[in-house]
Amino acid sequence: MAMKDVMGIIYTGEKDSFLRELTTLRAVAAVPVAGRYRVIDFLVSSFVNSDIPNVGVIMQKNYHSLMDHLGSGKEWDLHGKTDGLFILPPFLTADNNGQYPGSLDALHANLGYIRRSRQEYVLLCNSMIVFNADFRDMVKSYEKSGADVCMMYSKNPELQRSEYGAYLDIDDSGMIVDVEIDPTKPRYENTALEVTLLRKDLLINLIDRGVSHGYHDLMRHVFQRMIRDAGLRVAGYEYKKPCYRIDSIQSYFKFNMDVIRPEVRQSLFSDDRPVYTKLRDEMPARYLEHANVSDSIVADGCIVDAKVTRSVLFRGVRIGKGARIKNCIIMQDSIVEESVELENCILDKQAVIKAGGKLIGPPSYPIVISKNMTI
Amino acid sequence: MKKKRCIAMLLAGGQGSRLGILTEDMAKPAIPYGGKYRIIDFPLSNCTNSGIDVVGVMTQYQPLELNSYIGSGSPWDLDLSYGGVYVLPPYVKGKQGEWYSGTANAIYQNVAFIRQFNPDHVLILAGDHIYKMDYNAMLNYHIEKEADATIAVREVPWADTSRFGIMNTTPDNVIYEFEEKPKVAKNNKASMGVYIFRWDKLLHYLEDDAKHPDSSNDFGKNIIPNMMADNQRMMAYDFDGYWKDVGTVYSLWEANMDLLQMPMPIDLYDKNWRIYGRNPGMTPHYIAPGATVTNCLVTEGCEVFGKVSHSVLFSGVTVLEGAVVEDSIVMPNAVIERGAVVRRAIIAENAVIGAGAIVGETGGEICVVGHAATVAKGDTIAPGQQFRNERVDAGRE
Repeated sequence: MAMKDVMGIIYTGEKDSFLRELTTLRAVAAVPVAGRYRVIDFLVSSFVNSDIPNVGVIMQKNYHSLMDHLGSGKEWDLHGKTDGLFILPPFLTADNNGQYPGSLDALHANLGYIRRSRQEYVLLCNSMIVFNADFRDMVKSYEKSGADVCMMYSKNPELQRSEYGAYLDIDDSGMIVDVEIDPTKPRYENTALEVTLLRKDLLINLIDRGVSHGYHDLMRHVFQRMIRDAGLRVAGYEYKKPCYRIDSIQSYFKFNMDVIRPEVRQSLFSDDRPVYTKLRDEMPARYLEHANVSDSIVADGCIVDAKVTRSVLFRGVRIGKGARIKNCIIMQDSIVEESVELENCILDKQAVIKAGGKLIGPPSYPIVISKNMTI
Repeated sequence: MKKKRCIAMLLAGGQGSRLGILTEDMAKPAIPYGGKYRIIDFPLSNCTNSGIDVVGVMTQYQPLELNSYIGSGSPWDLDLSYGGVYVLPPYVKGKQGEWYSGTANAIYQNVAFIRQFNPDHVLILAGDHIYKMDYNAMLNYHIEKEADATIAVREVPWADTSRFGIMNTTPDNVIYEFEEKPKVAKNNKASMGVYIFRWDKLLHYLEDDAKHPDSSNDFGKNIIPNMMADNQRMMAYDFDGYWKDVGTVYSLWEANMDLLQMPMPIDLYDKNWRIYGRNPGMTPHYIAPGATVTNCLVTEGCEVFGKVSHSVLFSGVTVLEGAVVEDSIVMPNAVIERGAVVRRAIIAENAVIGAGAIVGETGGEICVVGHAATVAKGDTIAPGQQFRNERVDAGRE
């Protein structure tokens, strides 16, 4: 099986209420991260770097910013004639009211696209995962296992959450024998990364059987039951490289702060596996007379004339003279005026903090300033 | 037949030999500028922003870098079904293929290209200046004045007039005389090398010029004087914005340093007149604990551990611990190793300044470290020196 026989499908409609203000106006996939990227850039770039030529993105709510970001897929070299990037927004038909109750309904609504694609295998993903994965390795492991389905998981304890996520019990032969979903305290150390590889004809069959029984969620209603009833052979594939899940303000904050560390940046953005994103023609960042920046990452278009410590500045951010910024994430085109003091804050795009303002959040619960707010 | 009102022809074949080792393996328009641009981004972006969507780029000298940089033209939105950017190298025609022998000859050899678009006017551009200019405003002026040719001019200091082609004009800007580098100038309006011609007139004079074997086939030396001699209607178009020729090492250095002034003499933040370029798409740059960065431009992909002041760092530059960079331009992916000191220098792409090396000095002449050159650990490069490693010519025994 060659990588050109694999298509990727990203489902962007998962539960995102833990991200509070950051997802009121956009899907998690479109949340800005690491100075110039969006969450989905990592997944799409992983597909491209793994030679997967066909990527479908199932949109659900608030998908304008995601569509705007992905465009024709040109930045990812996914603007081919047959394959490429396919944006799959919800649409109204007699049996589809435009809102998917779950992932199964979303896949069902897009069966036409799935059938029409020439690939034989499908790699299904949720959109909250951030990594730079080589799926070629997973495909090899899947072939070797002889299983019907292969699910990616991680043993990283930082990914475990209370009442959120799927956790896998895996036997000695590498087969998944149980799945628990949203437990109060996960009993299994293997966190499912919600990256699933299987044959396309099997997927179509499972969707059809699931929907005809009135089921909505692929993981909960199809895979969990079939694994329990031994109706499917599902292999696990351990992902050992750094990986993050953007499922809360805290995990969002931690991911961005980690990216400042050179070793994390090197593992997520290597030269031979670049992360692509939509380009914006900005000037280089400009440091003025009073700039005093340390342990920070800064994108193009910024103008800095103040003290900035351990922070992430996105494109086009302005930091006025005499300001003091520490442990902050400041998104695109936000303006921090003179003598402002900020600590443990997340400023969404185009936020403005007027001169002299002071916002100090606790490290465990950063202050979030919504998009376009002026304070 | 579909037609375009005006198309642009950009002369990008010059070597720019006064830039020394910087243009040894690339044409002058491909020289990096301002942290993330190349010189050619300015005329190309000006075309896009002026609504001129056909640009023929004539290349000749070391075209590889330029060809791959221009590519499909998508960074400038010039990848169109009808129009776009075209790279036009000289080519073999039957038995008489030849190089471009002069600026006018380069256009003459591409008459068939221009005819495809059936334009009313042709804009001629050079690829070696930093400026933002609305060519469409100039075109409207050209049409309104019913000119056969319109030449963009800017006032230069009287002391410098002997270095330029000077246009002597009547009060209503009709050019009555053209003087190439006059010893005693009557006027201080210098040609910027930006011309708009009526296509039928230009074609006539190009064909006429091609018949004279001893002609230099040059706009300044032949075409414009010939049109003047025939009393064609020649207008001067005044331009008073920022305009910088980057023909020498010093002027290239100075043009970069101009961007560190406050306010910038050329506004590159202007969202209504963006300068586009091919973006390497790197991560935001990193400033380490203990690093100092003041009065600088720093581009994505840089990693700064040392002390950088009053300098321009291009994408992917690394400045390690204890290194000092002052009043310098460091081009893409260059590395300044531990403890090296770089002052008043231009460090070209992929160069490596070894640990503890000293390049240039405060107040000294600008020195240059060439493309992919390695300055050995502890070595000294004197002010004004142009340093490159001995090269092994690929493909030659």
